[in-house]
Amino acid sequence: MAAIEAHGLLKRYGSVEALRGIDLTIEKGEFFGLFGPNGAGKTTMLRILTGQLRPTAGEARVLGVDVVQEPLKVKSLVGIVPEVESPPSYLSAYEYLYFVGRVRKLDGLDARVGKWLEFFDLQDERDTLCKDLSKGTRQKLMLAAAFIHEPRLVFLDEPFINLDPIYQRKLRDHLEDYVASGGTVFMASHLLDIAEKLCDHVAVIRDGAVIATGTVDQIRGVESDLEAAFLRLVGARP
Amino acid sequence: MTWLLRMMLKEEFRVHATYSGKTMFLTFPLIIVVFAFAIAVTSGKLLAYTPLADAILLLHLSVFLYGMSVGAFGFLGRQYLERKNGTRNYVVTMPGILPMRLRETFLGMYVRDAIFYVGLLLAPATAGLILSVPITHFRLTSIGILFGAAFLSFLLGMSLSFFVSTLYMRSRIGFGVSVAAVSTLFAAAGAFHAIPVSWILPGLAAHDLLPPFAVNLSLALTYIALNLATVALLVGGAVALVPDRYEPPAAVARQELPRMADRFARFPRYGTLLAKELVDLKRSGTLVKMFFSFVAPLLFLSFTAWFVRYGLQVPVGFNTVFYAVMVGFFGVMLYNWLNNIDAVDYMATVPVSVPQFIRAKLLTFLMMTSWITVGFVVGIAWLNGDTRLLWLAIPVALITSVYMVTMTAYLTGLRTNSFLFDPAVLARFTVMSMLPDLCLTILSFTLDRDMILTVMGILIVLAVLAGTTYILLEGIEAKWRGSEFGD
Repeated sequence: MAAIEAHGLLKRYGSVEALRGIDLTIEKGEFFGLFGPNGAGKTTMLRILTGQLRPTAGEARVLGVDVVQEPLKVKSLVGIVPEVESPPSYLSAYEYLYFVGRVRKLDGLDARVGKWLEFFDLQDERDTLCKDLSKGTRQKLMLAAAFIHEPRLVFLDEPFINLDPIYQRKLRDHLEDYVASGGTVFMASHLLDIAEKLCDHVAVIRDGAVIATGTVDQIRGVESDLEAAFLRLVGARP
Repeated sequence: MTWLLRMMLKEEFRVHATYSGKTMFLTFPLIIVVFAFAIAVTSGKLLAYTPLADAILLLHLSVFLYGMSVGAFGFLGRQYLERKNGTRNYVVTMPGILPMRLRETFLGMYVRDAIFYVGLLLAPATAGLILSVPITHFRLTSIGILFGAAFLSFLLGMSLSFFVSTLYMRSRIGFGVSVAAVSTLFAAAGAFHAIPVSWILPGLAAHDLLPPFAVNLSLALTYIALNLATVALLVGGAVALVPDRYEPPAAVARQELPRMADRFARFPRYGTLLAKELVDLKRSGTLVKMFFSFVAPLLFLSFTAWFVRYGLQVPVGFNTVFYAVMVGFFGVMLYNWLNNIDAVDYMATVPVSVPQFIRAKLLTFLMMTSWITVGFVVGIAWLNGDTRLLWLAIPVALITSVYMVTMTAYLTGLRTNSFLFDPAVLARFTVMSMLPDLCLTILSFTLDRDMILTVMGILIVLAVLAGTTYILLEGIEAKWRGSEFGD
């Protein structure tokens, strides 16, 4: 069973087609990267696969679960880092992770929360309300929340974007270990240099359709790097 | 400034149109036109019981309170500023990253809402009156004067609210003193008749001096100037009070959530959500806002009751049960507040459904805020020296408020503010709230005539409300199952 299987995913917002019949299969243990220009449909795709949005047509299964029929089950199985880092304003950092753990009915919550606060060096912000945290710290908190239940699949929308180089590196190492231990990552990002180092498979999406898919080497082709290949594929290179 | 205003008006329109759609939203003023037209053509009968001058007084008080409810920019702006890194941001917060002043955007909010809400309600109502002219033969000048005078009272309400709420950003003590001063002024006019109401509402005083009531242009102009000067003073004061840089006070929290979540562990599906809602309520200061949001309509209600009983000499028995009905129906405000504490987009990342979250909010209402309802009923009974009916009034208030809140939750989900501007939702809301409201109000008036029969009638209505509440609670799952957080 694949980690993610999508067939004919279509999403319309009024007359705008955000996704135009996407087919995708991602195997377990893969580090998958989804790339595309702004407005290409990356976030829509991620939101549909995590049960946050209902597709207009098509079907998708995540870890064998139908995302349209059982969105809550999908959310209970996977970890999600959304595009915007917005933990609840009036809970402290500790309380947010505790809240997520309780909702997910986790055991040994104190130890888990402690582990992730420590992993992202959030101990000093433990009692600070989320509304008073910096963007980067909120991002770390959302990442911690996504991993707290040790999911076998995580969906990450621009996970590196607000992090400083130290934590970018730390997250990179963690994601590599995670995939090495059998975890699957679905990442939507614009940071092609990081993606080139991390991803096994990638797909390039433009105007709601997948225009290229394969291993990083296959996508890179004759180009010097993934960025050059990406620019060629989306037709942005002069 | 004009470009900023245009931008903010567009933004306000789009915010409202996002939820109900442009067409539906634009239907709202049309409904007001029809409503005003209907009132105008039946005004002959209405005015047979209520003199025109008294109706005008009620109108001014209503638009003044409407203005007050619109103008709390000190609270609203602060909320926007504190949420600026959430998923929604507004033009008002732009001074944080652009070379412009926060004062400009706050003043922009005032002008924007003055235009927007006049366009949404006062102007369509006036249009309805104008359309009725062929039937009612109202003079166009009288309608024009009515609009102008009502606009003055609306602006005054907005400005007062703007000033007092902005004062809150600077000083809690100053806020308390100003609220006490305004309350004293209204009590002096309403309860003790120490000063005429027209002293507080110069727009009303001006109205009374113009056709069709009188023709004293010079004195009317003086009152108009006084109204405008007061508005300018309050708005100027409010703008001066807006800080150059808004820095939300950073707070360190004691860990309350785990303790509270443990306490509610017996509710496996809702315990954690309930605990989070309660922590949010406390830390965001929403509980205080909820309490004060009851004060304005209740003051208005008390004044209306007093006015009908003593001003119009209509022998209606406004007893504690009547107030309990009203307090119960104001429960809708409490639910609205519960939906305005914070953005909830993050809930999309955890296995929680929208109906589950709505139910958690309803539980929060029951556990935490129903005491406000009961407190007000007991307080009103005590103030009116009418505690003999409390045994009936408290269940009436509780059941009507639970019904109102559940019905509002069913109809509007997590976006009460926006959906109530959707004419289709508003129409359903009006029918579902007005019918039981009318039944219970009329029954409350007959309590002193036939106690046993009336109590039986009230109990039947309450039973129907309880049954409907149960059905709506069950229906929340089906209605909101497919919806998403944050959209």
